[in-house]
Amino acid sequence: MLDFLQYLVLGLLVGGIYALAASGLTLVFGVMRIINIAHGAFLILGAFLAFTVWSKLGIDPMLAIILIAPVSFALGWVIYKVALAPVRTAPMASTVLLTFGLALVLEATMGVIWGNNATSTEPGYGSESLRIGSFYMPKAQVFGGAVAVAVLLLLGVILTRTWLGRAIRAAAANPTGAELVGIKVASVSAVVFGLGVAAACTGGAIVGVLYTFVPGTHYTWIARLLAIVVLGGLGSLNGAIVGAVLFGLAETFTSAYVSSAWATAFPYLIVFAVLLLRPQGLMGARLREDASAL
Amino acid sequence: MSLRAGWRRAGLVAMAGLVIAGSVACGGGDGGDSAAPIKIGASIPLTGQFSQEGKAAKEGYEVWAAMVNEKGGLLGRQVELVIKDDASNQNTVVADYNALISKDKVDLLIGTYSSLLNLPASAVAEKNQMLYIEPAGGAPEIFERGMKYLFFSQQATADKQGEAFAKWISTLPEADRPKTAAYPTIDDPFVTPNVEGIRKVLEGAGIQTVLAETYQSDLNNFDTIVSKVRSANPDLVVHGAFFDDGVGFVRSMLKADFKPRWLYQTTAPSLGDEYAKAIGPENTEGIIFAISHAPQAQTPGNAEFVKKYGEMFGGLPAEDAADAYGAAQVLQAAVEKVGNIDDQAAMADWLRANTVPTILGDLSWDDAGRPQGEFLTGQWQDGKVEYILPKEFATTDHIVMGWEPGKV
Repeated sequence: MLDFLQYLVLGLLVGGIYALAASGLTLVFGVMRIINIAHGAFLILGAFLAFTVWSKLGIDPMLAIILIAPVSFALGWVIYKVALAPVRTAPMASTVLLTFGLALVLEATMGVIWGNNATSTEPGYGSESLRIGSFYMPKAQVFGGAVAVAVLLLLGVILTRTWLGRAIRAAAANPTGAELVGIKVASVSAVVFGLGVAAACTGGAIVGVLYTFVPGTHYTWIARLLAIVVLGGLGSLNGAIVGAVLFGLAETFTSAYVSSAWATAFPYLIVFAVLLLRPQGLMGARLREDASAL
Repeated sequence: MSLRAGWRRAGLVAMAGLVIAGSVACGGGDGGDSAAPIKIGASIPLTGQFSQEGKAAKEGYEVWAAMVNEKGGLLGRQVELVIKDDASNQNTVVADYNALISKDKVDLLIGTYSSLLNLPASAVAEKNQMLYIEPAGGAPEIFERGMKYLFFSQQATADKQGEAFAKWISTLPEADRPKTAAYPTIDDPFVTPNVEGIRKVLEGAGIQTVLAETYQSDLNNFDTIVSKVRSANPDLVVHGAFFDDGVGFVRSMLKADFKPRWLYQTTAPSLGDEYAKAIGPENTEGIIFAISHAPQAQTPGNAEFVKKYGEMFGGLPAEDAADAYGAAQVLQAAVEKVGNIDDQAAMADWLRANTVPTILGDLSWDDAGRPQGEFLTGQWQDGKVEYILPKEFATTDHIVMGWEPGKV
C-alpha cells in the first residue's frame, strides 16, 4: 500500500509538470490551429536559460522563471510576427513544416551556444526529499509541481478573468465572429504564441532541474506533449491538464507494476485506446467540420 | 625543316612531357595523389543521445591526427579527418558512411561511437571492403556476422567487460560480499550483454538476483524505477547505463535516500569530471566501473597522448577520447605495415595475425575481430578515479569497500 501511495505521488508530481509543459501547445492550437512542433525546443531553451541564470547569477531556477517568462514571451511574439504571421491561414501541413524547421534551427542554435554536453541544473535541494518514514517526495518535484500549478492558475485567471482572455477564447471559438466584434485575431494570435512560448520555457526551467538535457532532447518532449494534448483534446487547457496527469500516472504505474521497459511506450497505447473511443480526446469539443468528415 | 619549326616542335614535345609528368605526379589511379593528404572518414554522434561520448571520440581522433601530422604524416602524407555528425541516429550513420565513401571519396574509414551505431555502420564498410576499426562497439552480436574488415579496438567485448569486478566482489569475505543484487539496465546492444555477463558470474557465485529490469533509452524519469529497486533492497546495484541515464539514476537514488552497500555502473562514471559535476563530487565515493584507459597508465605513447590532449583541449582525456585515439593507432599500424592504403584486405589479414601496441595496452584479435584482452576496473576515490583491477595495472592498493555518497 505504501508503495502504491509512493508511486501515486510520484506520478501526480510528474503529471503536474507535464501539464505546464503541454499548456502552451494546446493554447496555441486552440487559437491558431497551429501544431507547434517547436514547442519541445522552446521547453529545452527554457531549461538552458534557467541553467545559465542559475550558474552565472546564482539565482534559483524556480525563481529564474520571473526573468525567463517575459523574455520568452517577447521571443515568441517576435517569432510569430516574423515567421508565423505570414502563414497563419495557410494549410496545417505548411505550419507543421515551418515549426519543425524552427525546432531544428533552435536545436542548432542551442548547440552552438551551450554545446551538446548533457546539462543539468542542480540547486541544493535537487537531490533532497521531504520524508515521512520510508515515504518520500523529492523536493525538486514538489517545488516544480507547485510552480507549475501556480503558473497554470495564473494562465487560467488570464483566460477567464481578463479582457485579453475573453478575446483569446473568442478568437479560439469563432475567429470570424471575433473579428466582427472588433477583436484583432492576428494580434491575439501573436500574444497567444508568446504565452505558449513563455509557458514552454517556464516548464523547461523546471524540467532542467529534474532531468539532464541536451539540445536534441526536444524530440522526446514534443512526442510526449503531443500525445498529452491529443489525449486531453487539442485546444483544451483543462484537457491538457487532465491528459498530463493521466500520462504521468500511466508512466509511473507502468514502470512500477508492468515493466520499466514499457514505461515510455504504454502511455501511448492508452492515448490510442482513448482516441478509438473518443476521437476528439477526453475534453475536446467535436466541431462541425469533424462531423462532416465522418 | 626550318630552325624555327624545329624549336617549335621541340617546345611542343617538352610541353607534352611536362603535362604527362604532371599527370603522373598528380596520380589519377586508385592510390590517389601521393602529395595530397590521406582522407580518413568517420561519422560520430556529436548531437543526440551519445553527444557527450561522441564529442570525446572526435577529440581523440583529432589529437591522433595532429600528432601524426607533426611527425610527418602517414606513409609520408598528411592525414585529413572528414567528420560528420550522425545525431546518434542509426539511419543517419549509414547515410553518412555511404556519403564518406561515394561523395567525399575518403581513403580510409574509422569507426563511430556505440554498438548501436557501429552495428549498421560496419556493414557499410564491409560491403565496400574497407577496413573498419571501431573504438566503441563491444556488443557480442557485432562479431557474429562473419565480417572480415571489422576490428574492435578495446581490450574485450561487452560481455567480458565487468568480469574482473564480478569475480572480485563474489570472492570477498562474508561481511563485505553482497548477498543480493539488482540489475536495472538500459536496452542497448552494448550495455545489456555487459550487465548479463556480470549477472552470470554473480549468480554462479550464489548472489541472489532480486530485480532485473530493462528500460528504453528515451526514459528520463528514474524516480519510479529507483523506488522499485529500493523496495527490493539489494546489497549491490549493477546499473547498465550511458551518461544521461547513469546520472539521472544516481540523482534519483539520492532523492530516495537509497544507498545500497555497493554501486557499479557502466560507462557514466568513466566520463571523469563531467560525471562528478553531474551527480556531485561528494556522491562519487566508492562507485565502481569498467574502463579501458587510464591517463596514468605506462602504455606505449600514453604520456604523449595525455600531454597533447591537455594542450589541445585542456584537462585529462575522457575514456572515449582515449578509445578513439587507440582505434586510430590500430589503423595507423595496419597502414604502415602493409605500406599502402589500397589493399585493405591485406591490412585486415595483418591485424588478425599480429599484436598492436596502443595506449590501451597490447591489442590482438580473433578471426571475427573480437579483442582478446582484459578490461580495467576503476573506482572513484576521494573525488578522482583510481584503477583497482587487475592488480598489475592498479594505481592504488586501497579499495573503498562500498558506495559512500556524501563522504568526500
